Amino acid sequence: MKIKVTSVYVDDQEKALRFYTEVLGFAKKADFSQGPFRWLTVASPEEPDGTELQLALNNNPAAKTYQQAIFQQSQPAANFFTDDIKGDYERIKARGAEFTMPPTDVTGSTIAMLNDTCGNLIQLTQLKRWS
Amino acid sequence: MSDREQYTPGPANIARVQKDRGQNGEEKWALVLVRELRHSPEKVWEALTDPAHLREWAPFDADGSLGTVGATVKLTTVAAPRVNVSETRVTRAEAPKLLEYNWGEHDMRWELEAHGGGTRLTLWTNIGQRFIAMGAAGWQICFDVLDHLLSGNPIGRIVGPEAMKFAWQRLNAEYAKQFGIETPNWPPQKS
Repeated sequence: MKIKVTSVYVDDQEKALRFYTEVLGFAKKADFSQGPFRWLTVASPEEPDGTELQLALNNNPAAKTYQQAIFQQSQPAANFFTDDIKGDYERIKARGAEFTMPPTDVTGSTIAMLNDTCGNLIQLTQLKRWS
Repeated sequence: MSDREQYTPGPANIARVQKDRGQNGEEKWALVLVRELRHSPEKVWEALTDPAHLREWAPFDADGSLGTVGATVKLTTVAAPRVNVSETRVTRAEAPKLLEYNWGEHDMRWELEAHGGGTRLTLWTNIGQRFIAMGAAGWQICFDVLDHLLSGNPIGRIVGPEAMKFAWQRLNAEYAKQFGIETPNWPPQKS
Protein backbone atom coordinates (compact mmCIF):
# COMPACT_ATOMS: atom_id res chain seq x y z
CA MET A 1 0.00 0.00 0.00
CA LYS A 2 1.36 3.42 -0.95
CA ILE A 3 0.28 7.02 -0.63
CA LYS A 4 0.26 7.91 -4.29
CA VAL A 5 -2.13 10.83 -4.57
CA THR A 6 -3.55 13.50 -2.34
CA SER A 7 -6.03 16.26 -3.21
CA VAL A 8 -6.71 19.91 -2.83
CA TYR A 9 -10.06 21.39 -3.73
CA VAL A 10 -9.88 24.27 -6.18
CA ASP A 11 -12.62 26.58 -7.40
CA ASP A 12 -11.35 26.58 -11.01
CA GLN A 13 -9.26 23.71 -12.38
CA GLU A 14 -7.84 25.61 -15.36
CA LYS A 15 -6.72 28.49 -13.17
CA ALA A 16 -5.34 26.02 -10.62
CA LEU A 17 -3.36 24.19 -13.28
CA ARG A 18 -1.73 27.46 -14.33
CA PHE A 19 -0.90 28.40 -10.75
CA TYR A 20 0.45 25.01 -9.71
CA THR A 21 2.59 24.68 -12.85
CA GLU A 22 3.60 28.20 -13.89
CA VAL A 23 3.87 29.76 -10.44
CA LEU A 24 4.72 26.88 -8.12
CA GLY A 25 6.67 24.93 -10.74
CA PHE A 26 4.99 21.52 -10.64
CA ALA A 27 4.37 19.55 -13.83
CA LYS A 28 1.04 18.30 -15.16
CA LYS A 29 0.77 14.56 -14.72
CA ALA A 30 -2.74 13.26 -15.49
CA ASP A 31 -5.52 15.10 -17.25
CA PHE A 32 -8.58 13.09 -18.06
CA SER A 33 -12.24 13.87 -18.38
CA GLN A 34 -15.43 11.87 -18.20
CA GLY A 35 -18.37 14.13 -18.83
CA PRO A 36 -18.20 17.00 -16.35
CA PHE A 37 -15.68 15.13 -14.20
CA ARG A 38 -12.03 16.07 -14.74
CA TRP A 39 -9.22 14.11 -13.12
CA LEU A 40 -6.29 16.49 -13.03
CA THR A 41 -3.03 15.92 -11.17
CA VAL A 42 0.40 17.51 -10.94
CA ALA A 43 3.69 16.11 -9.68
CA SER A 44 7.01 17.58 -8.67
CA PRO A 45 9.64 17.67 -11.45
CA GLU A 46 12.09 16.56 -8.76
CA GLU A 47 10.03 13.41 -8.34
CA PRO A 48 8.00 12.84 -11.54
CA ASP A 49 6.79 9.41 -10.44
CA GLY A 50 6.29 10.48 -6.85
CA THR A 51 3.12 11.45 -5.05
CA GLU A 52 0.60 13.28 -7.22
CA LEU A 53 -1.51 16.19 -6.14
CA GLN A 54 -5.04 16.11 -7.50
CA LEU A 55 -6.57 19.48 -8.30
CA ALA A 56 -10.17 18.59 -7.59
CA LEU A 57 -12.99 20.87 -8.64
CA ASN A 58 -14.80 22.06 -5.56
CA ASN A 59 -18.43 21.77 -6.53
CA ASN A 60 -19.39 20.27 -3.20
CA PRO A 61 -21.07 22.77 -0.82
CA ALA A 62 -19.85 20.87 2.27
CA ALA A 63 -16.27 20.95 1.03
CA LYS A 64 -16.62 24.65 0.20
CA THR A 65 -17.71 25.47 3.72
CA TYR A 66 -14.77 23.54 5.13
CA GLN A 67 -12.33 25.10 2.66
CA GLN A 68 -13.44 28.64 3.50
CA ALA A 69 -13.36 27.98 7.23
CA ILE A 70 -9.81 26.66 7.32
CA PHE A 71 -8.69 29.44 4.96
CA GLN A 72 -10.07 32.03 7.39
CA GLN A 73 -8.28 30.29 10.25
CA SER A 74 -5.02 30.58 8.25
CA GLN A 75 -4.75 26.80 8.09
CA PRO A 76 -3.03 25.34 5.04
CA ALA A 77 -4.86 22.94 2.74
CA ALA A 78 -1.57 21.33 1.69
CA ASN A 79 2.03 21.35 2.76
CA PHE A 80 4.99 20.95 0.40
CA PHE A 81 8.50 20.23 1.55
CA THR A 82 11.56 21.93 0.11
CA ASP A 83 15.30 21.93 0.68
CA ASP A 84 15.54 25.63 -0.12
CA ILE A 85 12.66 27.60 1.29
CA LYS A 86 14.33 31.00 0.78
CA GLY A 87 15.04 30.24 -2.86
CA ASP A 88 11.53 28.92 -3.47
CA TYR A 89 10.02 31.91 -1.69
CA GLU A 90 11.91 34.36 -3.93
CA ARG A 91 11.18 32.38 -7.08
CA ILE A 92 7.47 31.94 -6.40
CA LYS A 93 7.06 35.54 -5.22
CA ALA A 94 8.74 36.80 -8.37
CA ARG A 95 6.09 34.97 -10.37
CA GLY A 96 3.38 36.96 -8.65
CA ALA A 97 2.21 34.76 -5.79
CA GLU A 98 0.98 36.39 -2.62
CA PHE A 99 2.65 35.10 0.54
CA THR A 100 0.61 35.48 3.71
CA MET A 101 3.70 34.50 5.71
CA PRO A 102 7.31 34.90 4.59
CA PRO A 103 9.82 32.19 5.59
CA THR A 104 9.55 32.05 9.37
CA ASP A 105 11.53 29.98 11.85
CA VAL A 106 9.40 27.70 14.00
CA THR A 107 10.28 24.68 16.09
CA GLY A 108 12.19 22.23 13.95
CA SER A 109 11.52 23.91 10.64
CA THR A 110 11.14 27.05 8.59
CA ILE A 111 7.72 27.59 7.10
CA ALA A 112 6.06 30.00 4.70
CA MET A 113 2.46 30.35 3.58
CA LEU A 114 1.04 31.46 0.27
CA ASN A 115 -2.35 31.92 -1.33
CA ASP A 116 -2.96 29.56 -4.27
CA THR A 117 -5.69 31.93 -5.64
CA CYS A 118 -8.07 28.95 -5.87
CA GLY A 119 -9.37 28.99 -2.32
CA ASN A 120 -6.43 27.60 -0.37
CA LEU A 121 -3.41 28.48 1.67
CA ILE A 122 -0.37 26.38 0.90
CA GLN A 123 2.43 25.87 3.37
CA LEU A 124 6.06 25.41 2.37
CA THR A 125 8.26 23.67 4.89
CA GLN A 126 11.98 23.23 5.19
CA LEU A 127 13.00 20.92 7.99
CA LYS A 128 15.96 21.96 10.08
CA ARG A 129 18.90 19.64 9.85
CA TRP A 130 20.66 18.80 13.04
CA SER A 131 24.31 17.98 12.80
CA MET B 1 -18.14 -16.09 -25.52
CA SER B 2 -20.83 -13.60 -24.65
CA ASP B 3 -21.83 -10.84 -27.03
CA ARG B 4 -20.14 -8.39 -24.68
CA GLU B 5 -16.84 -10.25 -24.85
CA GLN B 6 -17.08 -10.40 -28.63
CA TYR B 7 -17.82 -6.71 -28.98
CA THR B 8 -15.11 -4.52 -30.44
CA PRO B 9 -15.62 -1.00 -31.76
CA GLY B 10 -15.15 -0.29 -35.45
CA PRO B 11 -12.89 2.42 -36.86
CA ALA B 12 -13.19 5.97 -35.56
CA ASN B 13 -15.57 7.25 -38.22
CA ILE B 14 -18.69 8.77 -36.69
CA ALA B 15 -17.41 12.03 -35.24
CA ARG B 16 -16.28 15.39 -36.50
CA VAL B 17 -15.27 18.70 -35.00
CA GLN B 18 -17.27 21.87 -35.47
CA LYS B 19 -15.21 25.00 -34.94
CA ASP B 20 -16.81 28.30 -34.04
CA ARG B 21 -15.62 31.62 -32.73
CA GLY B 22 -16.45 32.71 -29.20
CA GLN B 23 -17.28 36.24 -28.08
CA ASN B 24 -13.63 37.19 -27.81
CA GLY B 25 -12.71 35.62 -31.11
CA GLU B 26 -11.34 32.49 -29.47
CA GLU B 27 -11.81 29.19 -31.23
CA LYS B 28 -14.52 27.01 -29.71
CA TRP B 29 -14.71 23.35 -30.54
CA ALA B 30 -17.82 21.24 -30.46
CA LEU B 31 -18.12 17.53 -31.10
CA VAL B 32 -20.67 16.23 -33.59
CA LEU B 33 -21.42 12.51 -33.71
CA VAL B 34 -23.78 10.95 -36.23
CA ARG B 35 -24.98 7.41 -35.84
CA GLU B 36 -27.55 5.54 -37.88
CA LEU B 37 -29.72 3.15 -35.93
CA ARG B 38 -32.14 0.56 -37.30
CA HIS B 39 -34.88 1.62 -34.94
CA SER B 40 -37.67 4.17 -35.01
CA PRO B 41 -37.16 7.68 -33.63
CA GLU B 42 -39.79 6.89 -30.96
CA LYS B 43 -37.76 3.95 -29.72
CA VAL B 44 -34.51 5.91 -29.78
CA TRP B 45 -36.20 8.81 -27.97
CA GLU B 46 -37.21 6.51 -25.14
CA ALA B 47 -33.64 5.26 -24.80
CA LEU B 48 -32.36 8.86 -24.64
CA THR B 49 -34.79 10.04 -21.99
CA ASP B 50 -35.90 7.15 -19.77
CA PRO B 51 -33.68 6.49 -16.72
CA ALA B 52 -34.07 2.70 -16.97
CA HIS B 53 -32.87 2.78 -20.59
CA LEU B 54 -30.08 5.27 -19.92
CA ARG B 55 -28.72 2.97 -17.24
CA GLU B 56 -28.09 0.36 -19.93
CA TRP B 57 -25.92 2.46 -22.20
CA ALA B 58 -25.27 6.09 -21.17
CA PRO B 59 -22.21 7.39 -19.28
CA PHE B 60 -24.48 8.84 -16.59
CA ASP B 61 -27.44 7.83 -14.49
CA ALA B 62 -30.46 10.12 -14.45
CA ASP B 63 -32.79 10.30 -11.46
CA GLY B 64 -35.78 11.27 -13.59
CA SER B 65 -36.95 11.46 -17.19
CA LEU B 66 -35.09 13.80 -19.54
CA GLY B 67 -38.13 13.94 -21.80
CA THR B 68 -39.93 16.95 -20.28
CA VAL B 69 -39.02 20.59 -20.84
CA GLY B 70 -38.17 22.36 -17.61
CA ALA B 71 -37.50 19.14 -15.72
CA THR B 72 -34.58 19.26 -13.31
CA VAL B 73 -32.71 15.98 -13.27
CA LYS B 74 -29.60 14.88 -11.43
CA LEU B 75 -27.02 13.22 -13.64
CA THR B 76 -24.47 11.03 -11.91
CA THR B 77 -21.33 10.28 -13.90
CA VAL B 78 -20.80 6.55 -13.84
CA ALA B 79 -17.43 5.17 -12.79
CA ALA B 80 -15.78 8.52 -12.08
CA PRO B 81 -13.12 8.07 -9.39
CA ARG B 82 -15.14 10.31 -7.12
CA VAL B 83 -18.93 10.70 -6.96
CA ASN B 84 -19.81 13.33 -9.51
CA VAL B 85 -23.37 14.58 -9.61
CA SER B 86 -24.54 17.51 -11.67
CA GLU B 87 -27.98 18.97 -11.93
CA THR B 88 -29.33 19.47 -15.41
CA ARG B 89 -32.31 21.28 -16.78
CA VAL B 90 -34.05 20.09 -19.90
CA THR B 91 -34.35 23.13 -22.15
CA ARG B 92 -35.94 21.48 -25.22
CA ALA B 93 -37.80 18.22 -25.55
CA GLU B 94 -39.67 17.81 -28.80
CA ALA B 95 -40.38 14.09 -28.96
CA PRO B 96 -39.16 12.29 -30.98
CA LYS B 97 -37.00 14.87 -32.72
CA LEU B 98 -35.01 17.21 -30.55
CA LEU B 99 -33.66 17.07 -27.01
CA GLU B 100 -31.49 19.62 -25.24
CA TYR B 101 -30.02 19.72 -21.76
CA ASN B 102 -26.65 20.36 -20.16
CA TRP B 103 -24.21 17.89 -18.64
CA GLY B 104 -22.09 19.92 -16.29
CA GLU B 105 -20.70 22.83 -18.31
CA HIS B 106 -21.45 21.16 -21.61
CA ASP B 107 -24.59 21.59 -23.68
CA MET B 108 -25.99 18.46 -25.20
CA ARG B 109 -28.22 18.59 -28.27
CA TRP B 110 -29.71 15.40 -29.65
CA GLU B 111 -31.41 15.34 -33.05
CA LEU B 112 -33.37 12.36 -34.30
CA GLU B 113 -34.32 12.10 -37.97
CA ALA B 114 -36.34 9.29 -39.52
CA HIS B 115 -34.00 7.78 -42.09
CA GLY B 116 -34.26 4.62 -44.19
CA GLY B 117 -36.71 2.95 -41.83
CA GLY B 118 -34.55 3.78 -38.84
CA THR B 119 -33.13 6.86 -37.19
CA ARG B 120 -30.21 9.10 -37.90
CA LEU B 121 -29.09 10.21 -34.46
CA THR B 122 -26.91 13.31 -34.12
CA LEU B 123 -25.31 14.42 -30.88
CA TRP B 124 -23.83 17.90 -30.73
CA THR B 125 -21.91 18.83 -27.59
CA ASN B 126 -19.55 21.71 -26.86
CA ILE B 127 -17.02 19.58 -25.06
CA GLY B 128 -14.07 21.79 -26.03
CA GLN B 129 -10.75 20.97 -27.61
CA ARG B 130 -8.89 19.35 -24.74
CA PHE B 131 -11.08 16.30 -24.27
CA ILE B 132 -12.78 16.10 -27.65
CA ALA B 133 -11.08 12.90 -28.81
CA MET B 134 -11.77 11.19 -25.48
CA GLY B 135 -15.41 12.21 -25.72
CA ALA B 136 -15.72 10.99 -29.30
CA ALA B 137 -14.21 7.63 -28.38
CA GLY B 138 -16.48 7.21 -25.37
CA TRP B 139 -19.67 8.18 -27.18
CA GLN B 140 -18.89 5.89 -30.13
CA ILE B 141 -18.72 2.91 -27.76
CA CYS B 142 -21.88 4.06 -25.95
CA PHE B 143 -23.73 4.25 -29.28
CA ASP B 144 -22.70 0.68 -30.15
CA VAL B 145 -24.05 -0.45 -26.77
CA LEU B 146 -27.23 1.55 -27.43
CA ASP B 147 -27.65 -0.20 -30.78
CA HIS B 148 -27.37 -3.60 -29.08
CA LEU B 149 -29.88 -2.53 -26.45
CA LEU B 150 -32.43 -1.35 -29.02
CA SER B 151 -31.99 -4.60 -30.95
CA GLY B 152 -33.07 -6.53 -27.87
CA ASN B 153 -29.57 -7.82 -27.30
CA PRO B 154 -28.17 -5.68 -24.49
CA ILE B 155 -24.48 -6.16 -23.74
CA GLY B 156 -24.35 -3.88 -20.71
CA ARG B 157 -23.00 -0.39 -20.28
CA ILE B 158 -19.34 0.16 -21.25
CA VAL B 159 -18.09 3.38 -19.66
CA GLY B 160 -15.19 4.61 -17.56
CA PRO B 161 -12.45 2.05 -16.95
CA GLU B 162 -14.58 -0.65 -18.60
CA ALA B 163 -14.21 1.16 -21.92
CA MET B 164 -10.43 0.66 -21.72
CA LYS B 165 -10.98 -3.06 -22.14
CA PHE B 166 -12.78 -2.34 -25.41
CA ALA B 167 -10.25 -0.42 -27.48
CA TRP B 168 -11.21 3.00 -26.20
CA GLN B 169 -7.53 3.99 -26.34
CA ARG B 170 -7.33 3.09 -30.03
CA LEU B 171 -10.42 5.18 -30.82
CA ASN B 172 -9.08 8.04 -28.73
CA ALA B 173 -5.77 7.99 -30.62
CA GLU B 174 -7.52 7.72 -34.02
CA TYR B 175 -9.80 10.65 -33.28
CA ALA B 176 -6.94 12.73 -31.88
CA LYS B 177 -5.09 12.20 -35.16
CA GLN B 178 -8.15 13.04 -37.27
CA PHE B 179 -8.86 16.18 -35.26
CA GLY B 180 -5.21 17.24 -35.34
CA ILE B 181 -4.72 17.32 -31.60
CA GLU B 182 -2.04 15.86 -29.45
CA THR B 183 -2.84 12.34 -28.29
CA PRO B 184 -3.39 12.74 -24.57
CA ASN B 185 -0.83 10.84 -22.53
CA TRP B 186 -3.49 9.30 -20.41
CA PRO B 187 -3.82 6.63 -19.27
CA PRO B 188 -0.06 6.18 -19.04
CA GLN B 189 1.28 3.54 -21.41
CA LYS B 190 2.84 0.48 -19.89
CA SER B 191 6.57 0.76 -20.33
